[in-house]
Amino acid sequence: MSVAPIIGVRGDRPGGARGPIAASPPGATNAAISATPFVPLAIAIDHCKGCGLCVAACPPGVLALETLAVNRLGYHPVRLVDAAGCTSCVRCARVCPDAVFTIWARPREA
Amino acid sequence: MPQTVERPARLVESERTQRAPAARTARARTRVLMKGNEAIAEAAIQAGCDAYFGYPITPQAELLEWMARRMPEEGRAFVQAESEIAAIAMGLGAAATGARVMVSSSGPGISLMAEGMSYLAGSEVPLVLVNIMRGGPGLGSIGPAQGDYFQATRGHGHGDYRVPVLAPSSIEEAVALVADAFEIAERYRTPVILLADGLIGQAMEPVRPSFRALPRTTTDWTVGGAAGRPPRTVRSLHLEPEELEVHNQHLQEKYREIERTETRWAGEALDDAEVAVVAYGTAARVARTAIERVRADGLAAGLFRPISLWPFPATALRARAPRLRAILVVELSAGQMIDDVRLAVEGRVPVFFHGRTGGMVPSPGAVAGELARAWALTEPRPAPDEVGQASRTVGRAGARATPAGVSPGSWGAAASPDATQHDVDEAVWRERHAPMKDATR
Amino acid sequence: MTSAAAVPRLLFERPTCLIDRATHYCPGCGHGIVHRLIAELVDELALADRTIAVAPVGCAVLAYDYLAFDWVEAPHGRAPAVATGIRRVRPEAFVLTYQGDGDLAAIGTAEIVHAAARGERITAVFVNNGVYGMTGGQMAPTTLLGQHTTSTPTGRDPVLAGFPLPITEMLALVPGSDYVARGSLVDPGAIGKLKAMLRRAFEVQLGGGRFSLVEVLATCPVGWGMTPQEAVDHLSVVAETYPLGVIVDRTKGIGRGGTPGPSREA
Repeated sequence: MSVAPIIGVRGDRPGGARGPIAASPPGATNAAISATPFVPLAIAIDHCKGCGLCVAACPPGVLALETLAVNRLGYHPVRLVDAAGCTSCVRCARVCPDAVFTIWARPREA
Repeated sequence: MPQTVERPARLVESERTQRAPAARTARARTRVLMKGNEAIAEAAIQAGCDAYFGYPITPQAELLEWMARRMPEEGRAFVQAESEIAAIAMGLGAAATGARVMVSSSGPGISLMAEGMSYLAGSEVPLVLVNIMRGGPGLGSIGPAQGDYFQATRGHGHGDYRVPVLAPSSIEEAVALVADAFEIAERYRTPVILLADGLIGQAMEPVRPSFRALPRTTTDWTVGGAAGRPPRTVRSLHLEPEELEVHNQHLQEKYREIERTETRWAGEALDDAEVAVVAYGTAARVARTAIERVRADGLAAGLFRPISLWPFPATALRARAPRLRAILVVELSAGQMIDDVRLAVEGRVPVFFHGRTGGMVPSPGAVAGELARAWALTEPRPAPDEVGQASRTVGRAGARATPAGVSPGSWGAAASPDATQHDVDEAVWRERHAPMKDATR
Repeated sequence: MTSAAAVPRLLFERPTCLIDRATHYCPGCGHGIVHRLIAELVDELALADRTIAVAPVGCAVLAYDYLAFDWVEAPHGRAPAVATGIRRVRPEAFVLTYQGDGDLAAIGTAEIVHAAARGERITAVFVNNGVYGMTGGQMAPTTLLGQHTTSTPTGRDPVLAGFPLPITEMLALVPGSDYVARGSLVDPGAIGKLKAMLRRAFEVQLGGGRFSLVEVLATCPVGWGMTPQEAVDHLSVVAETYPLGVIVDRTKGIGRGGTPGPSREA
C-alpha cells in the first residue's frame, strides 16, 4: 500500500455526504456492482480526531487508526480494516464524539 | 412577539385580585399622587414592559412590589430573582427573545449587575435598568445619593461600551423618561439606565398620568425558536480579534449616533445668568430653590440641568461657558459629574463645587451661599449682545443645536447631518479661538 | 434486479441538527457525544423549531456553532437565570441549558438551585468532567479527592480544597425538581441509558413538568492527562463518587419526599 501523507476531503462522496466510501452505494441494482462486497459503514475522515474510542469499543475489532496517513485536522483517522467482519452493531457510532460514522445494516442473503 | 403571555397554572392560583387604584383612577383624574418607585413601575407597565426581574433593596423595593402585584394582573412576567446577578441574567434572556424588559436595583445590586450589563451591551440587547441611588460606597446608607454617576456613565462593566443614562429630577419626569428609555433601548439595541436617587424613589408627588404606550418594534435578531428561518445566536463572544474589532467599531459608531440624537438637557434662567448651577436629579431641585433666593438678592444665577448624563450635553454647556463668570456644580456625591463639566468647559470658566455624601441632601441655603461665594471670587464677564431666548429651553439634539453666539454659517462639516460630536466640538472651538474676533457675541 | 430486502437499512447517521463541521473539542472529549445525543433527541422529538438553548462559559461556549437551533450566550454560571427569563416570556419554547461543572456547581450554584426551587420548566444538561477544561484543567467542585489538576498539583486535599460537591443530589432534594438523573459515557450501553435519561428529562418539560436535570459523567482526556480510552475507563472510578441512576423522578414517585431515594438504573 502506498504511503499517503494527506488524505483528501472525503466528504464529497457519491450521493452526497451520506454515501459509503467504498465503490458501490447501497441499493445498487447493477449486477456487476452487486458482486462488490457490502461496506456497512462510512467514515467522515476529516471530522475524525483519532481518539480511538471506536477502536476500543468495536467488539469484532474491525477498526483501526491509520498509522501514517493524516487527515486535514492532522489526526490519524479511523479506518474499517475488515468490512466483512463488521456486524453493524453501531457501538462505534455511539462512542464517537465527532459523529463520523454512518452505518447500514448488512442486507440478509436471499 | 406574543401580545399576551400565557400564565402557567401556578401563577393563576396565587394571583391577587386587587386592582391598582392609582392606575385606574389615574386615567380619570388630571393628576394623582404617586410614589416615585411606583410611578416608574407603572410607567413601564403602560409602556408595554413584558417582564420585570428584580431583587429587594432599599430604596427601590416598592418598585419591585408594585411589579409583583401588577405584572401578573396584566398577564406579564415577574420574577423576584435570587440575587441581582440572577435578575440581570433573567433580563438578558427575556430581552434576547424580543421582550421589553425592566430591571431595577440600587448601588450594591447595580454593582453586581456590571457583568450582565457588559453582556447586554456587547450582545446588543435592549433593556432598561433603573438605579435608585443610595449612599455608598459599600453597604453605605439608604439615603439618597448620586455617587453612582461614574458607574453609570463610564460603562460600569468591563470592555469598551457606553450606556445611555437618563436622569429625571421629578417623579413626573421619571414617568416620561421611562418611555424614552425603552425607545432608546430598542432603537439602538442597547441597555439604558434610568438614574434616580432615593428621594425621587421614595417621595410622593402629583403625577400627570400621561403614561406613554409604545408600539412593538420588529426585530431580525431575536431568538424564539428557529421556525422557518436559520438559527440565531445572541452572544457577545467574538474570538477572532479582527472580528471583535469590527464589532467594537460598530458599537462605537452606534454610540456616536446616540450622541448626535439623544443628548438631553434643560436650562432655566440661563439667558442672563452670570453664574450657572450645573446639577441633575434631586440636586437640580435644590439648586432651583437656591437660584430663586439669590435672584431675589440681585444675583443673576441660572440652572443648566443635564437630563442625559451620557451622552453628556457638553456642547451646549460649552456654548454657554464664555458668558458665565462661574459654574457651580452641585451633586449628592464627592464630585463625579464635575469631571464632565470641567471637560466640557475646557477651562474657560471657573468651576466650583458643593456636594454632600452619605445620603445627605444639600440644602438650598448652602447652595445659595456657595453661589454667593462663587460670585465674590470671580470677575464679571462682558455682557452678551445677542437676543435672549425663552427662559426655559429644552434641548434635544444637543450636539446639533446651534449654541448661542455661534453663527451657523461657520459650522462647515458640523452642519451636515452626519456631523459627529467631534465635528461639532471642532466647529465650536474654531469659533471661540478665531483670531481678531470680538469675544462678545 | 434487486429486491427491497437487499437495500441496506440505515442504522445510524449524523443527526440533522448537528451541524456538519469539525468541532474544536479535544480528541475523546465528552462534549461531542453529549452534543450528538441532544441533536438526536431534538431531531426525534422535532424540537428544533421551538428550542431556545442557553450556552455556558467553558469549553462548550461554542455549542451554538454545532447545534442548529436558537441560542443565547449566558454569563458564566447564569444560564439557569437566562433560561428563566426566556421561559417566562416564551411559554411555548423548549428551553435547555448546557453547562459544565464550573458553570453549574461553582459560580452558578445559586442560579441552578433557585431555578430548581422555582420549579422552572427548563432542562439543564450538566456535563461533569471534574475539571475546568477551557482554562487549562484547574480544580472544579466535582474534582475527586486526590485528583491531580493544575490548581491541585499534588492531588485534591480535603483540608485545603474541600470535598467533591454532590450538587445533583442536592438539587434532587428541592421540591421543584421533577426529574434528576445521572448518566455516564463509560461505554456504549451507558451512553444508551444516558440518552434515555435525556429523553425522559425532555419529556418532563414537554409534558408541562417542572425542573429537570441530567448530569453526564464525561471525559476530559487532556485535563486528566490520559488517553481518550483511559479517560473513558476512568469514568467507572468517577461513578464511585457520583453514582449513576435516576436520583429523583417525582412524576413517577421515585425518591419522593424530603430525602432522595437510592440511586437506581434508569
